[in-house]
Amino acid sequence: MTMPLDALEDVPDDALLRLFANGDGAAARVLTLRLTPIVLAHAYRLLGDRDEAEDVAQEAMMRLWRIAPDWRQGEAKVTTWLYRVVANLCTDRLRRRRGVDLDSVPEPADDTPSAHDGLVARARVDALQQALSALPERQRQAVILRHIEGLSNPEIAQVMEIGVEAVESLTARGKRALTAALADRRMELGFGDDG
Amino acid sequence: MTDERRNEQELEALFAAARRDAPTPSADLMARVLADAEAAQAQAQAAPAARPTRPAARPRWRQVVDLLGGWPAMAGLATAGVAGLWLGVAPPAALLDLPLAGFGTADPALVGMLPGVELDLLALEEG
Repeated sequence: MTMPLDALEDVPDDALLRLFANGDGAAARVLTLRLTPIVLAHAYRLLGDRDEAEDVAQEAMMRLWRIAPDWRQGEAKVTTWLYRVVANLCTDRLRRRRGVDLDSVPEPADDTPSAHDGLVARARVDALQQALSALPERQRQAVILRHIEGLSNPEIAQVMEIGVEAVESLTARGKRALTAALADRRMELGFGDDG
Repeated sequence: MTDERRNEQELEALFAAARRDAPTPSADLMARVLADAEAAQAQAQAAPAARPTRPAARPRWRQVVDLLGGWPAMAGLATAGVAGLWLGVAPPAALLDLPLAGFGTADPALVGMLPGVELDLLALEEG
């Protein structure tokens, strides 16, 4: 049985997952369209590498498909579970990367500062990504989840399996470290007028 | 504006730029993810039919045969049994000349350790 796509747009993730487990093809398509961008974005922000992020996204979604028949509705948010899976997969890759080749961490392009808004925005994204990559792993994850993915502290606590206070501590330390790392680049990032 | 507030605002501007810069999944990635989804569904649907059925319970006597080593071992066992029966009922004359034939009377202790022999010998004496 397959439900029409339109009818599924407002259906919560966990209910869609139940439909998916029952063989609903439309549920598979809606979940793919809804969740793959979220998973890819988080993997990209943790890894800073587009190709690796795509591999992680596919693997994370594969794990979701496999767990679908055993998913217990109402116990956890699907996205919370996925953020955790993505973080674990990225941690594995970052450890392998450290063990194999220190130079493989992509260096964002160091563009010449430009008045053009698009280039400033690009420079800001790249500078932030570079600074994030230099953070300790847990700080990076907490900062990304809080300030880029927009999760609440209790939700991050669930993803990272720690307390809310620990989340607050990680994000505070992470932001201090980011500020320090980017202090010398304020001019090129368009923050030059001190005002 | 304090430094702390300025830092907070600048960092927020960077986060906002990162939020706007979310990567868009390629068509290839979406196709791969959907193909995985459909394959997982097909596998799950096929699983109940394809699941190997548990082999039918074997009768107890077959289990005993298997335990003893299967049919070849049973053939040997049957041969030995028939030979034993034949030796008991109609022993060849040569067998009676063996020193073993005297166990029944010569050494009661030894015969006691071999109760089968004692019975066979009794049968011989009576027969």
